[in-house]
Amino acid sequence: MPVPNPMLQALDITKHYGGIAALKRAQFSLQAGEVHALMGENGAGKSTLAKIIAGSVRTDSGQILINGRPVTIATPLDAQRHGIGIIYQELDLFPNLTAGENIVIRNLHFHEGSTNNWRKIDAFCRPFLDQVGLDCDSRTLAESLPIGKLQLLAIARALSMNARTILMDEPTSALFDDSANRLFERIAALKKEGVAIVYVSHKMDEIFRICDRVTILRDGETIGTFDIADITPAEVIRLMVGREIDIGMSTGRTPAAAPTLLRADHLTTSKLRDVSFELHRGEVLGIAGLVGAGRSELGEALFGLDPIRSGSLELNGRAFHPRSPRDAMNAGFALLPEDRKLQGLMLQMSVRENGAMGILNRLSTVGFIRSRDEQSILEERFARLALKASQFSSPVNSLSGGNQQKVLLAKCLLADPQVIFLDDPARGIDVGAKQDIYRIIRELAAAGKGVILVSSELPELLHCCDRILVLREGRATAVFDAAEATQEKIMTAATREVVQ
Amino acid sequence: MISYLRRFQSFAGLIGILLLAIIFSPTAADGSRIFLQPGNLTDILRQMSLIGMMALAMTYVILTSGIDLSVGSILALSTSVVAMFLTRSYPSLGHGQQIALSIGVALAVSTATGLLNGLVIATLDLQPFVVTLASMIGIRGLAKWLTGNANIDIGFGQDVAAVFADIYRQKAVVIGTYAALAVVFGVVLARTVFGRYVRAIGDNERAARYTGLPIRAIKIWVYSLSGLLSGLAGVLYAAENHQGNPNAGVAYELDAIAAVVIGGTRLAGGKGSIAGTIVGTLTIGVLTNMLRLNSVDSNVEMMIKAVIIVLAVAVQRR
Repeated sequence: MPVPNPMLQALDITKHYGGIAALKRAQFSLQAGEVHALMGENGAGKSTLAKIIAGSVRTDSGQILINGRPVTIATPLDAQRHGIGIIYQELDLFPNLTAGENIVIRNLHFHEGSTNNWRKIDAFCRPFLDQVGLDCDSRTLAESLPIGKLQLLAIARALSMNARTILMDEPTSALFDDSANRLFERIAALKKEGVAIVYVSHKMDEIFRICDRVTILRDGETIGTFDIADITPAEVIRLMVGREIDIGMSTGRTPAAAPTLLRADHLTTSKLRDVSFELHRGEVLGIAGLVGAGRSELGEALFGLDPIRSGSLELNGRAFHPRSPRDAMNAGFALLPEDRKLQGLMLQMSVRENGAMGILNRLSTVGFIRSRDEQSILEERFARLALKASQFSSPVNSLSGGNQQKVLLAKCLLADPQVIFLDDPARGIDVGAKQDIYRIIRELAAAGKGVILVSSELPELLHCCDRILVLREGRATAVFDAAEATQEKIMTAATREVVQ
Repeated sequence: MISYLRRFQSFAGLIGILLLAIIFSPTAADGSRIFLQPGNLTDILRQMSLIGMMALAMTYVILTSGIDLSVGSILALSTSVVAMFLTRSYPSLGHGQQIALSIGVALAVSTATGLLNGLVIATLDLQPFVVTLASMIGIRGLAKWLTGNANIDIGFGQDVAAVFADIYRQKAVVIGTYAALAVVFGVVLARTVFGRYVRAIGDNERAARYTGLPIRAIKIWVYSLSGLLSGLAGVLYAAENHQGNPNAGVAYELDAIAAVVIGGTRLAGGKGSIAGTIVGTLTIGVLTNMLRLNSVDSNVEMMIKAVIIVLAVAVQRR
């Protein structure tokens, strides 16, 4: 098949951070009207390559061609002039500006003199908001929009800048299936209009659903570009990690007979209504639901961060009423929060300091930390989590996402909890680290702990859990045994009112 | 190797200023450099000791990502209180007892004001900048109101106030107090659970909440310590200047903050050290001494200081 002249080409892109090469002569080429996946493990250089194309990071060497002509993209404004827009994983929107202001600010296609003219802003933004299917007023404050709509707003902004190439960095990492589906519809529509989409993601099912081609990076080098039709998920994973990996897991146990560890009875908080469930020893209980259904809020209630208004909790047959995280931890409860950077880690502090943060009372004598004990306890734990001790004194923000998650998991597990609430532990981390996390969940269950697993990815829940509790608008709408659960049943319970 | 270079980097500003001070030092009659005379060097240490102790506690406050603007006012309150109690007559008390009482009350009052700062910040969850800005104004008012806006002079002679001043203005006492405090604050920050919690809270307060750290208690502690050390600086100030002065310590909070920042502590919290703060304090002390030895106009001194602060921070940035 004759290949038309590519719309965008990146040739021999090399970029070093300090002494470490993030990209080594990476190659990438994009056709008009295609959705092109960029895949690789964390640290493979996907985001760096996307940022170089979008002008927010400067390349050390190499060339970018647009429609065959070499161009210099030194700033985001240059990228805008060349019709390139980017939607970052952490959306770069101004929360205290309106949707309209977010679109027109520094927009070459909007006359800046009129930035304070609401009518002009509205007239300018409306077509783009309509195009992405965002029905909000252009005067709505960005911070009042849910994350799914913010993503659409970022796309509208890219379109209003006349972008012909849109880079999306993990756009669905915070979305549940319904918002993700809406996003895919928009992507399909944009594709028809000849817009090229670069889609950075870890989610294999999405890639195979919406992408035309895939370019795989490993350790900063381009491994190859393939038509999606000619490759299988297993091959993609093998190329990403450079070795074979077993993607599936099944627990194959029947723990229903095990004694009850945690019982929630008509639990009601500011976000939850009348939620009842049981967790047995050695069981993995999945929590499914849309964003805002009360999944993380359940963890906060159990962890004493959100006061329980009515209903009761029993842990090991004894009443349990957590008033603070300290209470919950003392009772044998651990929470791995949803956002490891905002809620979990002290980013400036070292790996060791983060790991030991929850158990310093145990590691100290009259307030003085016994650093040798600290070191040995962490070394042992980290070895079990496949974390290298050589990174002990590095700041935790120098680690990859997967390793950060493991440090956080180590911190939770060091307190030797009975019940572990894992809030989307495999979100945004690479395949290898995901496998490690699944293995750890299995080991915890085998050791008789109770694990509650929240996930936005249904396949993950179906693989990991013994039972799945579905929440919708703060209420429990269904419980499924893993054997009988399907994605369709869960989605139905998550989106529709179920009458007992 | 790189970490050694980095450690050296935080001293680079201080070393540069020391070299300049030696080069530009005026010479005495015998040809020696005045800057290097032991009397001058200990003068520097004495002069920086008061700001130095305030900067020690300020380091903790800033590490929790707070700020304490009220330290200068607390110093003034402390000088006033200690002088008031020293110049009153307590026939039943001996000299030693009255001195202990005066210092005790001054320190108690100062710690209480710090405690109040901490309580308001921690329990009402208000911004430290706003709370301590308010207390900076209020405490200054309190000091002026207590003294009727007049200095309380501590005379020379045999009375209890003069005895107090003779003891607590000695270089060895002042420098010794600062050195001891610096060691204690350094060790506590580096080695204890408290020190690690201080940094953890400033690094990520939300994560600290999810980890169940005693956030409120730690905040109340650091502001109380800041009050205590400012009060102690006030007692030494009263001895050195032979007076309780409700107008003392204006803008000291800025010098203390400057010392902390020059020492490499991140204003947003989470990262910094007591060693850095000591270096920062010495940098300011040596700089001031150098300019005064060369009789630089005090207004020009301020301008030069401004430039040096920015340069020092720029040089040691990682």
